[in-house]
Amino acid sequence: MADPGAVARNEHEHVEHGSHVGRYAIVWIALLALTILTYALSRLHIPGGWGVVVALSIATAKGALVALFFMHLWDQRGANRLVFVTSLVFVALLIGLTLSDNATRFRLANPPGSEGALPLGPTDYPGPPPAPPAQRGVGY
Amino acid sequence: MSDATTPTAASFLAHHFESLEKQTHAARLGMWLFLATEVLLFTALFAGYAVYRYLYAQDFAAASRGLATWIGLVNTIVLVSSSFTVALGLHHATRGDGKGTRTFFLLSFLMGLVFLGFKYVEYSHHFHAGELPGRYYAGELLGPGAPMFYALYFLITGLHGVHVVVGMTVLAVIGWRAGRGAYARAYHVPVELAGLYWHLVDLIWIFVFPLIYLI
Repeated sequence: MADPGAVARNEHEHVEHGSHVGRYAIVWIALLALTILTYALSRLHIPGGWGVVVALSIATAKGALVALFFMHLWDQRGANRLVFVTSLVFVALLIGLTLSDNATRFRLANPPGSEGALPLGPTDYPGPPPAPPAQRGVGY
Repeated sequence: MSDATTPTAASFLAHHFESLEKQTHAARLGMWLFLATEVLLFTALFAGYAVYRYLYAQDFAAASRGLATWIGLVNTIVLVSSSFTVALGLHHATRGDGKGTRTFFLLSFLMGLVFLGFKYVEYSHHFHAGELPGRYYAGELLGPGAPMFYALYFLITGLHGVHVVVGMTVLAVIGWRAGRGAYARAYHVPVELAGLYWHLVDLIWIFVFPLIYLI
């Protein structure tokens, strides 16, 4: 805190002279492993809506690896981190508020099934008539 | 900047900056601000996706089965690996090895081509199967969810595809310039910023893959 110049020099040193090849390779292998893991877990069809939680957790871990080590946020000064974290705050606000709006709606004036009526939620909309179960990973 | 001689650190300094170090920090900060706007651009689409997946969860799951998961998986592996080679390209730039940077950026560019090739296979399949956005949907699934899924599918992967094309162009230009010795050990910010853009394209795809393919 006392000497901002020292921080800047530190960053300079890191980016200029540190060899990151080993670190890049470890991050790459971790990213490949997590990709295979998320694919394998998706085939298990985790019930109760936890599948998307697991998938997004793994994606967040992968994203953190890319941002911290490939994009060097780990080494860089506060301003760049602050910019990125701020954008993530707004991501959370936008998606969180939009979803919680939809999740807490009461019945609208349009009667269900009428033109212009919104489906009110997963429970109100029974889903399409059962389609023939297509297999995953059709080869084309 | 002349290509015949190796540029010195002073030749990179723009007159409105006090030092090369401040110029570097300003460039990085500017790039991160730009990347933040890119994140928010995609977030708008992801928010739309979140709403409609919440409303039509079963339709989305059914519609997602029309996608070839293996292509999504292979494309994820390709993009993640291209990020790795971009990072190696930056490593060579920090050593003042412009030719090394060019080699690794070329590798990443080729992986971008592979990615787009797979996207072409997917898109042409969807066009033939009538799996198109909104009221153009002519697939087998009934209900309002599948047309909405394919609208979001084409919007998200299409916008991402545009970013892949832009990223490949940036990698090609910067890689070519690096190969001609336009940057030096003391100053290779353009290489770094080109890499940042490509990593962002990878970062977005890391979220697209589970959301679109692995429902």
